[in-house]
Amino acid sequence: MSSLAGKTVAVGDAIEPLTRRVTQAQINAYAEASGDVNPIHVDEDFARSVGLPGTIAHGLLEMGILAEAVSRWAGGGSRLLGLECRFSKPLRAGDAITCTGKVVAVDEAGGVASLEVDAVSDRGERVLTNGRARVRLSG
Amino acid sequence: MPDQSHVGRKYSAPGQVIDPARAKGMAQAIAGESAAFEADEVPPTFAAVYCLAPTFAQLFTDAEVGINLAGLIHGEQTFEWPAAAQPGDTVDATARIESVEDKRGMTFVTLAVEAVRRADGAVVCRGRSMMIVRGGAQ
Repeated sequence: MSSLAGKTVAVGDAIEPLTRRVTQAQINAYAEASGDVNPIHVDEDFARSVGLPGTIAHGLLEMGILAEAVSRWAGGGSRLLGLECRFSKPLRAGDAITCTGKVVAVDEAGGVASLEVDAVSDRGERVLTNGRARVRLSG
Repeated sequence: MPDQSHVGRKYSAPGQVIDPARAKGMAQAIAGESAAFEADEVPPTFAAVYCLAPTFAQLFTDAEVGINLAGLIHGEQTFEWPAAAQPGDTVDATARIESVEDKRGMTFVTLAVEAVRRADGAVVCRGRSMMIVRGGAQ
């Protein structure tokens, strides 16, 4: 039986959804932490000048929150073997993102669970799509 | 503007040291003070710092490719972490332009990236980044 932190893992299992409001302050903190200071993320006037509705979150900040959601379920980030997604719509500063996922395959022999994952904004937009994650199972 | 002739270009950023304070800073910037990532753990998407940033910086300043940064957005990202990077690891990062496609008035540039730990040769990150240069193709 495949398990994770003492829990049995089976196809159809859902991860606990993770919702976070991504404020401009968080985007600024991520810009500093990542070194990605592209003005579309931190400069409202600049973002508008290139046709955006305002500043937007870094795609990799959204993906980081998605990785956090899967890591919480998996019992640590080091269990995450892979993660991929499409940045389908920009997440605007101040919007909330909700990340969800469900197990679509369990490789008992290899000890790996595969999940479909994605994220929506509180505007109802699908911001992260075509998401997949692979998680290393225990024992 | 990027075009087919740039496929195969490679950018190398050897000797990236995974700084524990910066890794922790990214964990906090993503997750706040919550315990999603363990205290001594490198958050998975810290690959943005040790793998993507130092190689993409070279691409972005490659005058022969001439990417217009003002119109650049991240379209898709794939990461694999065959071995987990540890604080203090030194890794050698590379990025290679895998394809350049013009679609719907935009240019799609896909890069294959990899980071290898010096101590044991383990691949700590492998992936693919698709960047969209808006207003690229005429």
